[in-house]
Amino acid sequence: MTAWRTAAHFVVHPPPADWREDLARRIGRKPRRVGLWTELAMYGARCCLDAAGESALPAGARIRVSSQRGAWGATHAGLTQLDAGLPMPFTFMQSQPALMLAEVGRCLDWQGDASFALCREPARVLRLAKLGASRDGLLFGIVEEERNGEPARSEWWRLVPA
Amino acid sequence: MSGVYLAGMGLACALGDDMRSALASLKRGAVPAKPVTVAGGIQWPVHTLAPRPGDWTQRLRDTVRDVVAQTGDGGARTAPLFVASSSLDIGFMEHEKQDLRLGGDLQDFAGIAAESIDWQGPVFTVSTACTSALNALLAAADLIRAGEADEALVIGAEMGNRFTVAGFGAMQLLSPDSARPFGEGRNGLVLGEAVAALRLGSRPARWQVAGGANVVDGRNPSGTEASAVHAMCRGALEQSGLQPADIDLIKVQAAGSPVNDAIEAEALKQVFEPLPPLVSLKPALGHTLGASGAAELALLAGCIEGGVWPTVDYPLDASLGIELSTQAPQRLRNILLNFAGFGGGHASLVLKDTGP
Repeated sequence: MTAWRTAAHFVVHPPPADWREDLARRIGRKPRRVGLWTELAMYGARCCLDAAGESALPAGARIRVSSQRGAWGATHAGLTQLDAGLPMPFTFMQSQPALMLAEVGRCLDWQGDASFALCREPARVLRLAKLGASRDGLLFGIVEEERNGEPARSEWWRLVPA
Repeated sequence: MSGVYLAGMGLACALGDDMRSALASLKRGAVPAKPVTVAGGIQWPVHTLAPRPGDWTQRLRDTVRDVVAQTGDGGARTAPLFVASSSLDIGFMEHEKQDLRLGGDLQDFAGIAAESIDWQGPVFTVSTACTSALNALLAAADLIRAGEADEALVIGAEMGNRFTVAGFGAMQLLSPDSARPFGEGRNGLVLGEAVAALRLGSRPARWQVAGGANVVDGRNPSGTEASAVHAMCRGALEQSGLQPADIDLIKVQAAGSPVNDAIEAEALKQVFEPLPPLVSLKPALGHTLGASGAAELALLAGCIEGGVWPTVDYPLDASLGIELSTQAPQRLRNILLNFAGFGGGHASLVLKDTGP
Protein backbone atom coordinates (compact mmCIF):
# COMPACT_ATOMS: atom_id res chain seq x y z
CA MET A 1 0.00 0.00 0.00
CA THR A 2 1.30 3.47 -0.92
CA ALA A 3 2.27 5.75 1.98
CA TRP A 4 1.10 9.35 1.58
CA ARG A 5 2.54 12.66 2.72
CA THR A 6 0.50 15.81 3.30
CA ALA A 7 2.25 18.55 1.33
CA ALA A 8 -0.30 21.15 2.46
CA HIS A 9 -3.53 21.37 4.41
CA PHE A 10 -5.74 24.42 4.10
CA VAL A 11 -8.96 25.04 5.96
CA VAL A 12 -11.37 27.95 6.35
CA HIS A 13 -14.36 27.32 8.57
CA PRO A 14 -15.76 29.94 8.19
CA PRO A 15 -13.86 31.79 5.46
CA PRO A 16 -12.46 35.22 6.32
CA ALA A 17 -14.56 38.28 5.45
CA ASP A 18 -12.42 39.18 2.43
CA TRP A 19 -12.12 35.68 0.96
CA ARG A 20 -13.71 36.62 -2.35
CA GLU A 21 -11.27 39.47 -2.88
CA ASP A 22 -8.44 37.15 -1.89
CA LEU A 23 -9.58 34.58 -4.47
CA ALA A 24 -9.81 37.21 -7.21
CA ARG A 25 -6.29 38.40 -6.34
CA ARG A 26 -4.89 34.88 -6.37
CA ILE A 27 -6.38 33.85 -9.71
CA GLY A 28 -6.20 37.24 -11.39
CA ARG A 29 -9.91 37.59 -12.12
CA LYS A 30 -13.27 37.74 -10.43
CA PRO A 31 -15.25 34.51 -10.89
CA ARG A 32 -18.49 35.20 -12.74
CA ARG A 33 -21.77 33.28 -12.63
CA VAL A 34 -20.29 30.29 -10.84
CA GLY A 35 -22.26 30.29 -7.57
CA LEU A 36 -21.17 30.42 -3.93
CA TRP A 37 -20.33 26.72 -3.49
CA THR A 38 -18.11 26.63 -6.55
CA GLU A 39 -16.41 29.85 -5.51
CA LEU A 40 -15.69 28.36 -2.07
CA ALA A 41 -14.18 25.31 -3.75
CA MET A 42 -12.03 27.47 -6.03
CA TYR A 43 -10.80 29.48 -3.05
CA GLY A 44 -9.82 26.46 -0.99
CA ALA A 45 -8.18 24.64 -3.89
CA ARG A 46 -6.12 27.64 -4.94
CA CYS A 47 -5.06 28.46 -1.37
CA CYS A 48 -4.09 24.85 -0.71
CA LEU A 49 -1.94 24.69 -3.81
CA ASP A 50 -0.34 28.01 -2.87
CA ALA A 51 0.35 26.63 0.62
CA ALA A 52 2.04 23.64 -0.99
CA GLY A 53 4.28 26.03 -2.90
CA GLU A 54 3.05 24.76 -6.26
CA SER A 55 2.24 27.28 -8.96
CA ALA A 56 0.39 24.61 -10.95
CA LEU A 57 -1.15 21.24 -10.20
CA PRO A 58 0.73 18.53 -12.13
CA ALA A 59 -1.24 17.13 -15.06
CA GLY A 60 -1.18 13.61 -13.64
CA ALA A 61 -2.60 14.62 -10.26
CA ARG A 62 -6.20 13.92 -9.34
CA ILE A 63 -8.75 16.33 -7.93
CA ARG A 64 -11.41 14.79 -5.71
CA VAL A 65 -14.11 16.83 -4.00
CA SER A 66 -16.72 15.75 -1.48
CA SER A 67 -19.67 17.51 0.13
CA GLN A 68 -22.78 16.41 1.94
CA ARG A 69 -24.97 19.24 0.66
CA GLY A 70 -23.25 20.50 -2.48
CA ALA A 71 -24.61 23.61 -4.17
CA TRP A 72 -27.56 23.84 -1.81
CA GLY A 73 -28.31 27.51 -2.45
CA ALA A 74 -28.27 27.24 -6.24
CA THR A 75 -30.41 24.10 -6.20
CA HIS A 76 -32.96 25.75 -3.95
CA ALA A 77 -33.00 28.86 -6.15
CA GLY A 78 -33.33 26.74 -9.28
CA LEU A 79 -36.34 24.88 -7.94
CA THR A 80 -37.98 28.17 -6.99
CA GLN A 81 -37.36 29.47 -10.49
CA LEU A 82 -38.82 26.28 -11.94
CA ASP A 83 -41.98 26.78 -9.87
CA ALA A 84 -42.24 30.31 -11.22
CA GLY A 85 -41.73 29.17 -14.81
CA LEU A 86 -38.57 31.24 -15.22
CA PRO A 87 -35.69 30.21 -17.43
CA MET A 88 -32.66 29.43 -15.27
CA PRO A 89 -29.57 28.53 -17.28
CA PHE A 90 -27.00 29.94 -14.86
CA THR A 91 -28.76 28.75 -11.71
CA PHE A 92 -29.10 25.28 -13.21
CA MET A 93 -25.41 25.20 -14.09
CA GLN A 94 -24.47 26.39 -10.60
CA SER A 95 -26.41 23.51 -9.04
CA GLN A 96 -24.19 20.89 -10.70
CA PRO A 97 -21.05 19.53 -9.01
CA ALA A 98 -19.58 19.10 -12.50
CA LEU A 99 -19.51 22.87 -12.97
CA MET A 100 -17.58 23.20 -9.71
CA LEU A 101 -15.00 20.68 -10.95
CA ALA A 102 -14.67 22.56 -14.23
CA GLU A 103 -14.16 25.90 -12.50
CA VAL A 104 -11.68 24.50 -9.96
CA GLY A 105 -9.69 23.04 -12.86
CA ARG A 106 -9.90 26.31 -14.75
CA CYS A 107 -8.72 28.43 -11.83
CA LEU A 108 -5.72 26.12 -11.47
CA ASP A 109 -5.13 26.27 -15.24
CA TRP A 110 -5.27 22.48 -15.20
CA GLN A 111 -6.82 19.69 -17.28
CA GLY A 112 -7.09 16.25 -15.72
CA ASP A 113 -8.92 13.65 -13.67
CA ALA A 114 -11.42 15.41 -11.38
CA SER A 115 -14.42 13.85 -9.74
CA PHE A 116 -17.04 14.43 -7.06
CA ALA A 117 -18.11 11.70 -4.65
CA LEU A 118 -19.50 11.28 -1.18
CA CYS A 119 -20.23 8.56 1.33
CA ARG A 120 -21.77 8.46 4.80
CA GLU A 121 -18.30 7.51 6.03
CA PRO A 122 -16.15 10.39 4.69
CA ALA A 123 -12.86 8.57 5.29
CA ARG A 124 -13.87 6.05 2.61
CA VAL A 125 -13.99 8.80 -0.03
CA LEU A 126 -10.39 9.79 0.68
CA ARG A 127 -9.27 6.16 0.74
CA LEU A 128 -10.99 5.59 -2.60
CA ALA A 129 -9.43 8.74 -4.06
CA LYS A 130 -5.94 7.45 -3.30
CA LEU A 131 -6.45 4.13 -5.10
CA GLY A 132 -5.01 4.26 -8.57
CA ALA A 133 -3.65 7.80 -8.13
CA SER A 134 -0.38 8.52 -9.91
CA ARG A 135 2.93 9.81 -8.51
CA ASP A 136 1.59 13.33 -9.04
CA GLY A 137 -0.75 12.72 -6.12
CA LEU A 138 -4.03 14.20 -5.15
CA LEU A 139 -5.77 17.47 -4.33
CA PHE A 140 -8.66 16.54 -2.06
CA GLY A 141 -11.30 18.95 -0.84
CA ILE A 142 -14.42 19.06 1.32
CA VAL A 143 -16.64 22.05 0.61
CA GLU A 144 -19.86 23.03 2.36
CA GLU A 145 -22.00 26.13 2.14
CA GLU A 146 -23.27 27.81 5.31
CA ARG A 147 -26.41 26.04 6.49
CA ASN A 148 -28.53 26.02 9.67
CA GLY A 149 -25.98 28.00 11.66
CA GLU A 150 -23.07 25.82 10.54
CA PRO A 151 -20.51 28.12 8.89
CA ALA A 152 -19.24 27.60 5.37
CA ARG A 153 -16.21 25.33 5.08
CA SER A 154 -13.58 24.78 2.44
CA GLU A 155 -10.93 22.31 3.57
CA TRP A 156 -8.29 20.94 1.21
CA TRP A 157 -5.31 18.62 1.35
CA ARG A 158 -2.48 18.33 -1.15
CA LEU A 159 -1.37 14.75 -0.83
CA VAL A 160 1.58 13.10 -2.54
CA PRO A 161 3.02 9.60 -2.30
CA ALA A 162 5.74 9.61 0.37
CA MET B 1 -3.21 -6.51 -9.62
CA SER B 2 -6.68 -7.99 -10.32
CA GLY B 3 -8.46 -7.72 -13.64
CA VAL B 4 -11.94 -6.18 -13.67
CA TYR B 5 -14.80 -7.95 -15.43
CA LEU B 6 -18.46 -7.37 -16.05
CA ALA B 7 -20.23 -10.09 -14.07
CA GLY B 8 -23.77 -8.96 -14.82
CA MET B 9 -25.80 -6.07 -16.16
CA GLY B 10 -29.33 -4.73 -16.03
CA LEU B 11 -31.12 -1.94 -17.85
CA ALA B 12 -34.42 -0.10 -17.80
CA CYS B 13 -34.71 2.66 -20.37
CA ALA B 14 -37.18 4.13 -22.85
CA LEU B 15 -36.71 1.06 -25.04
CA GLY B 16 -37.93 -1.29 -22.34
CA ASP B 17 -37.75 -2.29 -18.71
CA ASP B 18 -35.21 -5.03 -19.29
CA MET B 19 -32.56 -5.95 -21.83
CA ARG B 20 -34.74 -8.35 -23.77
CA SER B 21 -37.52 -5.83 -24.31
CA ALA B 22 -35.01 -3.04 -25.01
CA LEU B 23 -33.36 -5.10 -27.75
CA ALA B 24 -36.75 -6.04 -29.19
CA SER B 25 -37.71 -2.34 -29.38
CA LEU B 26 -34.39 -1.47 -30.95
CA LYS B 27 -34.89 -4.17 -33.54
CA ARG B 28 -38.28 -2.67 -34.40
CA GLY B 29 -36.70 0.77 -34.86
CA ALA B 30 -36.73 2.25 -31.36
CA VAL B 31 -39.39 4.18 -29.46
CA PRO B 32 -40.23 7.85 -30.10
CA ALA B 33 -39.58 10.42 -27.38
CA LYS B 34 -42.54 11.82 -25.46
CA PRO B 35 -43.24 15.50 -24.77
CA VAL B 36 -42.49 16.66 -21.23
CA THR B 37 -43.96 20.00 -20.13
CA VAL B 38 -41.60 22.07 -18.00
CA ALA B 39 -43.40 25.37 -17.45
CA GLY B 40 -45.71 27.76 -19.19
CA GLY B 41 -46.61 25.26 -21.90
CA ILE B 42 -42.99 24.76 -22.93
CA GLN B 43 -42.45 21.15 -23.95
CA TRP B 44 -39.38 19.15 -24.86
CA PRO B 45 -39.20 15.58 -26.15
CA VAL B 46 -37.73 13.12 -23.63
CA HIS B 47 -37.09 9.37 -23.89
CA THR B 48 -39.00 8.48 -20.73
CA LEU B 49 -39.16 5.28 -18.72
CA ALA B 50 -42.43 3.37 -18.88
CA PRO B 51 -44.95 4.60 -16.29
CA ARG B 52 -45.00 2.72 -12.99
CA PRO B 53 -47.42 2.95 -10.09
CA GLY B 54 -46.56 4.84 -6.90
CA ASP B 55 -44.91 8.14 -6.10
CA TRP B 56 -41.50 9.23 -7.35
CA THR B 57 -39.59 7.49 -4.57
CA GLN B 58 -41.54 4.27 -4.97
CA ARG B 59 -40.86 4.27 -8.71
CA LEU B 60 -37.14 4.73 -8.00
CA ARG B 61 -37.14 1.85 -5.51
CA ASP B 62 -39.03 -0.50 -7.82
CA THR B 63 -36.95 0.33 -10.88
CA VAL B 64 -33.64 -0.08 -9.05
CA ARG B 65 -34.76 -3.38 -7.52
CA ASP B 66 -35.84 -4.75 -10.92
CA VAL B 67 -32.73 -3.60 -12.73
CA VAL B 68 -30.32 -4.94 -10.10
CA ALA B 69 -32.19 -8.27 -10.18
CA GLN B 70 -31.33 -8.51 -13.89
CA THR B 71 -27.61 -8.56 -13.02
CA GLY B 72 -27.97 -11.98 -11.43
CA ASP B 73 -27.82 -12.93 -7.82
CA GLY B 74 -24.12 -13.64 -7.63
CA GLY B 75 -22.87 -10.74 -5.58
CA ALA B 76 -22.46 -10.12 -1.90
CA ARG B 77 -24.57 -7.25 -0.64
CA THR B 78 -21.66 -6.16 1.49
CA ALA B 79 -19.58 -5.09 -1.52
CA PRO B 80 -19.13 -1.39 -2.37
CA LEU B 81 -22.10 0.17 -4.14
CA PHE B 82 -21.70 3.19 -6.39
CA VAL B 83 -24.79 5.20 -7.30
CA ALA B 84 -24.21 7.63 -10.15
CA SER B 85 -26.59 10.38 -11.16
CA SER B 86 -26.66 13.95 -12.34
CA SER B 87 -30.15 14.86 -11.17
CA LEU B 88 -30.18 12.65 -8.04
CA ASP B 89 -33.52 13.13 -6.21
CA ILE B 90 -34.45 16.48 -7.72
CA GLY B 91 -37.60 14.87 -9.17
CA PHE B 92 -38.71 14.07 -5.63
CA MET B 93 -37.98 17.61 -4.47
CA GLU B 94 -40.07 19.11 -7.27
CA HIS B 95 -43.11 17.55 -5.64
CA GLU B 96 -42.23 18.68 -2.12
CA LYS B 97 -43.44 21.88 -0.49
CA GLN B 98 -40.80 24.59 -0.76
CA ASP B 99 -39.90 24.67 2.93
CA LEU B 100 -39.48 20.89 3.04
CA ARG B 101 -37.17 20.72 0.05
CA LEU B 102 -33.48 19.98 0.48
CA GLY B 103 -33.94 18.93 4.06
CA GLY B 104 -31.61 16.02 3.48
CA ASP B 105 -28.36 15.79 1.57
CA LEU B 106 -26.81 14.54 -1.65
CA GLN B 107 -26.46 11.00 -0.26
CA ASP B 108 -30.21 10.53 0.21
CA PHE B 109 -30.76 9.33 -3.36
CA ALA B 110 -28.09 6.65 -3.09
CA GLY B 111 -29.47 5.73 0.32
CA ILE B 112 -32.90 5.03 -1.17
CA ALA B 113 -31.36 3.00 -3.99
CA ALA B 114 -29.30 0.98 -1.48
CA GLU B 115 -32.25 0.44 0.82
CA SER B 116 -34.39 -0.83 -2.05
CA ILE B 117 -31.97 -3.71 -2.61
CA ASP B 118 -31.18 -4.20 1.07
CA TRP B 119 -27.54 -3.24 0.49
CA GLN B 120 -25.29 -3.64 3.53
CA GLY B 121 -21.96 -2.49 2.10
CA PRO B 122 -20.49 1.02 1.78
CA VAL B 123 -22.50 3.28 -0.52
CA PHE B 124 -20.92 6.02 -2.62
CA THR B 125 -22.63 8.76 -4.61
CA VAL B 126 -20.82 9.93 -7.75
CA SER B 127 -22.15 13.01 -9.51
CA THR B 128 -20.14 14.47 -12.39
CA ALA B 129 -23.02 15.15 -14.83
CA CYS B 130 -22.80 13.08 -18.03
CA THR B 131 -19.70 11.17 -16.91
CA SER B 132 -21.13 10.16 -13.50
CA ALA B 133 -21.64 6.45 -14.17
CA LEU B 134 -18.37 6.08 -16.00
CA ASN B 135 -16.52 7.76 -13.12
CA ALA B 136 -18.34 5.45 -10.72
CA LEU B 137 -17.23 2.48 -12.80
CA LEU B 138 -13.63 3.72 -12.87
CA ALA B 139 -13.68 4.16 -9.08
CA ALA B 140 -15.12 0.69 -8.59
CA ALA B 141 -12.44 -0.68 -10.92
CA ASP B 142 -9.75 1.05 -8.82
CA LEU B 143 -11.06 -0.78 -5.74
CA ILE B 144 -11.04 -4.16 -7.45
CA ARG B 145 -7.66 -3.68 -9.12
CA ALA B 146 -6.14 -2.70 -5.77
CA GLY B 147 -7.55 -5.84 -4.19
CA GLU B 148 -9.70 -3.81 -1.78
CA ALA B 149 -12.86 -5.47 -3.09
CA ASP B 150 -13.62 -8.61 -5.09
CA GLU B 151 -16.75 -7.11 -6.55
CA ALA B 152 -18.74 -3.90 -6.72
CA LEU B 153 -22.08 -2.77 -8.04
CA VAL B 154 -22.49 0.39 -10.12
CA ILE B 155 -25.95 1.87 -10.60
CA GLY B 156 -26.50 4.75 -13.00
CA ALA B 157 -29.88 6.39 -12.56
CA GLU B 158 -31.67 9.34 -14.12
CA MET B 159 -35.30 9.42 -13.11
CA GLY B 160 -37.98 11.72 -14.45
CA ASN B 161 -37.84 15.37 -13.44
CA ARG B 162 -38.65 18.75 -14.93
CA PHE B 163 -35.67 20.57 -13.37
CA THR B 164 -33.10 19.00 -15.68
CA VAL B 165 -35.28 19.34 -18.76
CA ALA B 166 -35.94 23.02 -17.98
CA GLY B 167 -32.25 23.61 -17.24
CA PHE B 168 -31.02 22.06 -20.47
CA GLY B 169 -33.82 23.84 -22.34
CA ALA B 170 -32.78 27.18 -20.87
CA MET B 171 -29.20 26.49 -21.90
CA GLN B 172 -30.47 26.00 -25.47
CA LEU B 173 -28.99 22.51 -25.68
CA LEU B 174 -32.19 20.58 -26.52
CA SER B 175 -33.63 19.56 -29.86
CA PRO B 176 -37.32 20.33 -30.30
CA ASP B 177 -37.77 17.14 -32.37
CA SER B 178 -35.15 14.39 -32.35
CA ALA B 179 -31.48 13.72 -31.66
CA ARG B 180 -29.43 13.17 -34.79
CA PRO B 181 -25.83 12.54 -33.72
CA PHE B 182 -23.42 13.59 -36.50
CA GLY B 183 -26.55 14.25 -38.56
CA GLU B 184 -27.25 16.80 -41.21
CA GLY B 185 -29.24 19.66 -39.68
CA ARG B 186 -28.80 18.32 -36.14
CA ASN B 187 -30.24 20.76 -33.65
CA GLY B 188 -29.52 19.53 -30.14
CA LEU B 189 -29.85 16.60 -27.80
CA VAL B 190 -32.87 14.77 -26.48
CA LEU B 191 -32.76 13.77 -22.83
CA GLY B 192 -33.53 10.26 -21.62
CA GLU B 193 -34.42 8.51 -18.38
CA ALA B 194 -32.71 5.26 -17.47
CA VAL B 195 -31.58 3.04 -14.64
CA ALA B 196 -28.71 0.69 -15.39
CA ALA B 197 -26.71 -1.62 -13.17
CA LEU B 198 -23.28 -3.12 -13.76
CA ARG B 199 -21.99 -5.82 -11.47
CA LEU B 200 -18.20 -5.81 -11.56
CA GLY B 201 -15.90 -8.48 -10.24
CA SER B 202 -12.38 -9.88 -10.34
CA ARG B 203 -13.48 -13.28 -11.66
CA PRO B 204 -12.87 -13.57 -15.41
CA ALA B 205 -15.96 -13.14 -17.57
CA ARG B 206 -16.64 -12.32 -21.22
CA TRP B 207 -16.37 -8.52 -20.90
CA GLN B 208 -13.26 -7.05 -19.31
CA VAL B 209 -12.90 -3.44 -18.22
CA ALA B 210 -9.43 -3.07 -19.70
CA GLY B 211 -8.84 0.57 -18.85
CA GLY B 212 -10.29 4.04 -18.73
CA ALA B 213 -9.60 7.72 -18.26
CA ASN B 214 -11.43 10.77 -16.96
CA VAL B 215 -10.44 14.26 -18.09
CA VAL B 216 -12.06 17.50 -16.94
CA ASP B 217 -11.41 20.62 -18.97
CA GLY B 218 -13.12 23.72 -17.65
CA ARG B 219 -12.49 26.01 -20.59
CA ASN B 220 -15.94 25.36 -22.03
CA PRO B 221 -18.25 24.08 -19.26
CA SER B 222 -21.07 23.10 -21.62
CA GLY B 223 -18.97 21.80 -24.49
CA THR B 224 -16.50 19.29 -25.81
CA GLU B 225 -12.81 20.19 -25.94
CA ALA B 226 -10.70 18.53 -28.62
CA SER B 227 -7.61 18.28 -26.40
CA ALA B 228 -9.70 16.59 -23.69
CA VAL B 229 -11.07 14.09 -26.24
CA HIS B 230 -7.48 13.31 -27.26
CA ALA B 231 -6.44 12.94 -23.61
CA MET B 232 -9.34 10.67 -22.61
CA CYS B 233 -8.88 8.36 -25.60
CA ARG B 234 -5.11 8.16 -25.17
CA GLY B 235 -5.41 7.72 -21.41
CA ALA B 236 -7.84 4.84 -21.77
CA LEU B 237 -5.69 3.20 -24.45
CA GLU B 238 -2.56 3.57 -22.33
CA GLN B 239 -4.14 2.01 -19.26
CA SER B 240 -5.39 -0.84 -21.46
CA GLY B 241 -1.99 -1.38 -23.05
CA LEU B 242 -3.45 -0.75 -26.51
CA GLN B 243 -2.69 1.35 -29.57
CA PRO B 244 -5.33 3.26 -31.57
CA ALA B 245 -5.21 0.59 -34.30
CA ASP B 246 -6.29 -2.04 -31.74
CA ILE B 247 -9.74 -0.45 -31.33
CA ASP B 248 -12.44 -2.19 -33.37
CA LEU B 249 -15.39 0.06 -32.51
CA ILE B 250 -15.99 3.43 -30.87
CA LYS B 251 -19.24 4.18 -29.08
CA VAL B 252 -19.29 7.93 -29.59
CA GLN B 253 -20.52 10.59 -27.21
CA ALA B 254 -22.24 12.58 -30.00
CA ALA B 255 -25.66 13.66 -28.80
CA GLY B 256 -26.77 15.82 -31.71
CA SER B 257 -25.12 19.13 -30.82
CA PRO B 258 -24.18 21.17 -33.90
CA VAL B 259 -20.82 22.23 -32.44
CA ASN B 260 -19.86 19.47 -29.97
CA ASP B 261 -20.47 16.64 -32.45
CA ALA B 262 -18.18 18.35 -34.96
CA ILE B 263 -15.43 18.83 -32.36
CA GLU B 264 -15.68 15.17 -31.33
CA ALA B 265 -15.58 13.92 -34.92
CA GLU B 266 -12.50 15.98 -35.71
CA ALA B 267 -10.75 15.03 -32.46
CA LEU B 268 -11.39 11.31 -33.03
CA LYS B 269 -9.92 11.57 -36.52
CA GLN B 270 -6.78 13.09 -34.99
CA VAL B 271 -6.33 10.14 -32.61
CA PHE B 272 -7.49 7.31 -34.90
CA GLU B 273 -6.15 7.09 -38.43
CA PRO B 274 -8.08 5.45 -39.99
CA LEU B 275 -11.20 5.72 -37.86
CA PRO B 276 -12.63 2.40 -36.69
CA PRO B 277 -16.42 1.87 -37.07
CA LEU B 278 -18.51 4.21 -34.93
CA VAL B 279 -21.82 3.59 -33.21
CA SER B 280 -24.23 5.98 -31.50
CA LEU B 281 -26.89 4.88 -29.02
CA LYS B 282 -28.40 8.26 -28.14
CA PRO B 283 -31.05 8.35 -30.89
CA ALA B 284 -32.54 5.25 -29.24
CA LEU B 285 -31.86 5.89 -25.54
CA GLY B 286 -31.77 9.66 -25.41
CA HIS B 287 -28.96 11.33 -23.51
CA THR B 288 -29.34 9.68 -20.13
CA LEU B 289 -26.81 12.04 -18.51
CA GLY B 290 -25.39 10.60 -15.29
CA ALA B 291 -26.71 7.14 -16.14
CA SER B 292 -25.30 7.12 -19.66
CA GLY B 293 -21.98 5.47 -18.76
CA ALA B 294 -23.80 2.44 -17.39
CA ALA B 295 -26.84 2.50 -19.68
CA GLU B 296 -24.91 2.79 -22.95
CA LEU B 297 -22.33 0.20 -21.88
CA ALA B 298 -25.08 -2.23 -20.93
CA LEU B 299 -27.06 -1.62 -24.12
CA LEU B 300 -24.00 -1.95 -26.34
CA ALA B 301 -22.93 -5.21 -24.71
CA GLY B 302 -26.55 -6.38 -24.97
CA CYS B 303 -26.64 -5.47 -28.68
CA ILE B 304 -23.47 -7.45 -29.38
CA GLU B 305 -24.61 -10.46 -27.37
CA GLY B 306 -28.12 -10.31 -28.82
CA GLY B 307 -27.15 -9.69 -32.44
CA VAL B 308 -29.10 -6.42 -32.67
CA TRP B 309 -27.72 -3.15 -34.00
CA PRO B 310 -29.14 0.40 -33.89
CA THR B 311 -30.33 1.80 -37.20
CA VAL B 312 -29.36 5.21 -38.52
CA ASP B 313 -32.55 6.67 -40.00
CA TYR B 314 -31.34 10.17 -40.85
CA PRO B 315 -28.74 11.57 -43.26
CA LEU B 316 -25.29 12.20 -41.79
CA ASP B 317 -23.47 15.50 -42.06
CA ALA B 318 -21.17 14.93 -45.03
CA SER B 319 -18.87 17.76 -43.93
CA LEU B 320 -17.79 15.71 -40.88
CA GLY B 321 -16.37 12.94 -43.07
CA ILE B 322 -17.49 10.12 -40.79
CA GLU B 323 -19.92 7.20 -40.93
CA LEU B 324 -22.01 5.46 -38.29
CA SER B 325 -21.96 1.70 -38.61
CA THR B 326 -25.24 0.06 -39.57
CA GLN B 327 -24.21 -3.40 -38.44
CA ALA B 328 -21.84 -4.86 -35.89
CA PRO B 329 -18.25 -4.92 -37.16
CA GLN B 330 -16.97 -8.38 -38.08
CA ARG B 331 -14.05 -8.14 -35.68
CA LEU B 332 -15.00 -6.87 -32.24
CA ARG B 333 -12.32 -7.38 -29.63
CA ASN B 334 -11.62 -3.93 -28.17
CA ILE B 335 -14.36 -1.33 -27.86
CA LEU B 336 -13.83 2.28 -26.81
CA LEU B 337 -16.80 3.98 -25.16
CA ASN B 338 -16.65 7.77 -25.00
CA PHE B 339 -18.68 10.11 -22.81
CA ALA B 340 -18.53 13.85 -22.43
CA GLY B 341 -20.73 16.63 -21.33
CA PHE B 342 -21.77 19.34 -19.03
CA GLY B 343 -19.04 20.71 -16.77
CA GLY B 344 -16.22 19.92 -19.17
CA GLY B 345 -16.21 16.22 -18.22
CA HIS B 346 -14.75 13.74 -20.73
CA ALA B 347 -14.34 10.03 -19.96
CA SER B 348 -13.39 6.93 -21.94
CA LEU B 349 -13.48 3.24 -21.22
CA VAL B 350 -12.01 0.28 -23.08
CA LEU B 351 -14.21 -2.81 -22.96
CA LYS B 352 -12.52 -5.99 -24.11
CA ASP B 353 -14.36 -9.05 -25.36
CA THR B 354 -12.34 -11.93 -23.94
CA GLY B 355 -14.59 -14.53 -25.51
CA PRO B 356 -13.26 -17.07 -28.01
